[in-house]
Amino acid sequence: MNLRWYHFLLWAAFAATLMLMPELVSKGTLRTMIFACYLAIFAVSWDLLSGRTGYISFGHPFLIGIGAYTTAILSKRFDVPLELSIPIAVVVTMIGGLIVLLPALRIKGSYFALVTLAYMELIYQLTQVVRPDLTGGTRGISGIETLTRGAVNGYYLAATLLIILTIFSWALMRTRIGTALWAIGMNEESVRGSGLSTTKLKCFAFLASAFVAGLGGAFYVHYLGSIAPRALFDINFLFTILVAVLIGGAGTIIGPVMGAFFLVFLLEWLRPWLPGAERYFIYGLIALVIYMYEPKGIIRIFSNLLGKLRGANK
Amino acid sequence: MTAALEVRHLVKKFGGLTATDNLSFSVSTGESLGLIGPNGAGKTTVFSLIMGELIQNAGTIHLDGVEISKLSTAQRIKKGVSRTYQVPRPFAELTVRENIRVGLMPNSVRQMVFGNSDKARETELALSVGLSEADIERNVGELSMGDLRKLEFARTLATGAKIMLLDEVFAGLTSGEISMIAELIQDLRDQGFTFVMVSHDLPAMEPLVDRTIAIERGALIAQGSFASVLADETVRAAYLGT
Ligand SMILES: Nc1ncnc2c1ncn2[C@@H]1O[C@H](COP(=O)(O)OP(=O)(O)O)[C@@H](O)[C@H]1O
Ligand SMILES: [Mg+2]
Repeated sequence: MNLRWYHFLLWAAFAATLMLMPELVSKGTLRTMIFACYLAIFAVSWDLLSGRTGYISFGHPFLIGIGAYTTAILSKRFDVPLELSIPIAVVVTMIGGLIVLLPALRIKGSYFALVTLAYMELIYQLTQVVRPDLTGGTRGISGIETLTRGAVNGYYLAATLLIILTIFSWALMRTRIGTALWAIGMNEESVRGSGLSTTKLKCFAFLASAFVAGLGGAFYVHYLGSIAPRALFDINFLFTILVAVLIGGAGTIIGPVMGAFFLVFLLEWLRPWLPGAERYFIYGLIALVIYMYEPKGIIRIFSNLLGKLRGANK
Repeated sequence: MTAALEVRHLVKKFGGLTATDNLSFSVSTGESLGLIGPNGAGKTTVFSLIMGELIQNAGTIHLDGVEISKLSTAQRIKKGVSRTYQVPRPFAELTVRENIRVGLMPNSVRQMVFGNSDKARETELALSVGLSEADIERNVGELSMGDLRKLEFARTLATGAKIMLLDEVFAGLTSGEISMIAELIQDLRDQGFTFVMVSHDLPAMEPLVDRTIAIERGALIAQGSFASVLADETVRAAYLGT
């Protein structure tokens, strides 16, 4: 994996910064940061599958939704304790997602994206008609048990989860499997021609991604205390995840985390001027500008800067 | 003695086009077989069929007497056959080292995650095909065509294959690069590797093959020594397009 001393230093700084936030910012800002943390988790999840392999998933809200709905239904309707319902939700996300999406992993390019998009819309329709007594139909479920009380605790939980999942994903992508996943994105046939089963690799990437999505979705719903299909299975939510990854730098894990925070605060900052959905057009524009300036994202802008500083010190 | 690689009555159709037409041939261990034929004769298709990248409509493929026709590409490579491509297909944004690393990886997720890469072996492979020390950490995008071909050899060797299918090995190379690649192939022949080789550069290919077969429209039209195949009337006619 090839770890260096400065990796530990940077990760410690990252964790410390996140953990110190409640001392530095207002309660209101903290609530925004909680959302940023969850968005970052979802962006990391998306990056694990799509960032490297180039299989663009439009179905992540679908995965996050399975995780969120499973634990919400189990705990609210069947009184399953959260210690049990959350792990079950994660497993269901991984297995359920795999069964549904595995056939899609065999098709390349834009078709994969379209098929996954169809799943998102499908489950949106299904939550309303299949067993609305369980899913709550269009109105969703409210009064779901929460894991924490208050913004500060909610934040600590979200930040801790983010730190753990980010480090886990980053470390995973530094192993040989990370290299193999990059290689799939560049030339899938040559990966097969190198003696590797790309189906196996894509399944693995998918499971890792679904694990993070399911876990994030489950914790998120137990932070919000409610869930509604249109909030989750929604194209705006999907694009927020995608844009966070793309402006941060796909395939880098850390980039998408940066992208998520950047995006959430940008939207917050725009709120007084653009209270409505117009804000979403703005981030499309910003994503485009960043993409044109540096297609590899914010993280590349940062690492270039660091490189220059290091060069200047020599 | 069983052949290292044996193809029996292979048929491949693309719609109405028969790209491989009841083709049979074999190569024995350590032998080097030339495969010639005009453009579109079906040479590349044969390689794709042997590797399982395309699936035949009929016929079988055996490796050391074992049928491999139903195995996945990864399993076939594990059994010892590997190919290079007419147009090299490197991982464009990875370094030379990382490209070779992919070839060396075991097909096991657990080992990929928990095992370490063998840097010494990566370096050794790169140097063995004639890439320089400086090339190893270079991005593949910066390599010349000749170096890309060398890299294809390195990645193919990395899979552990003993039988190599070389598609248009000399295409796009300068004469200097051609002699370097030819030398590399001679070297590997001395080490006991088995080859099936496709090339349009017949003079460059001649000293590298023990035996030659010619195909046209997917069907075998001649076989024997390189000189006798080239002298064959049908082969001459095929090359002249009559
Ligand atoms: N995937 C494919 N689909 C349809 N036709 C193909 C395909 N691949 C090759 N062909 C056709 O099969 C014939 C043999 O092609 P190929 O094996 O590439 O020939 P060669 O390598 O000898 O030049 C050609 O007529 C080509 O157009
Ligand atoms: Mg060809």
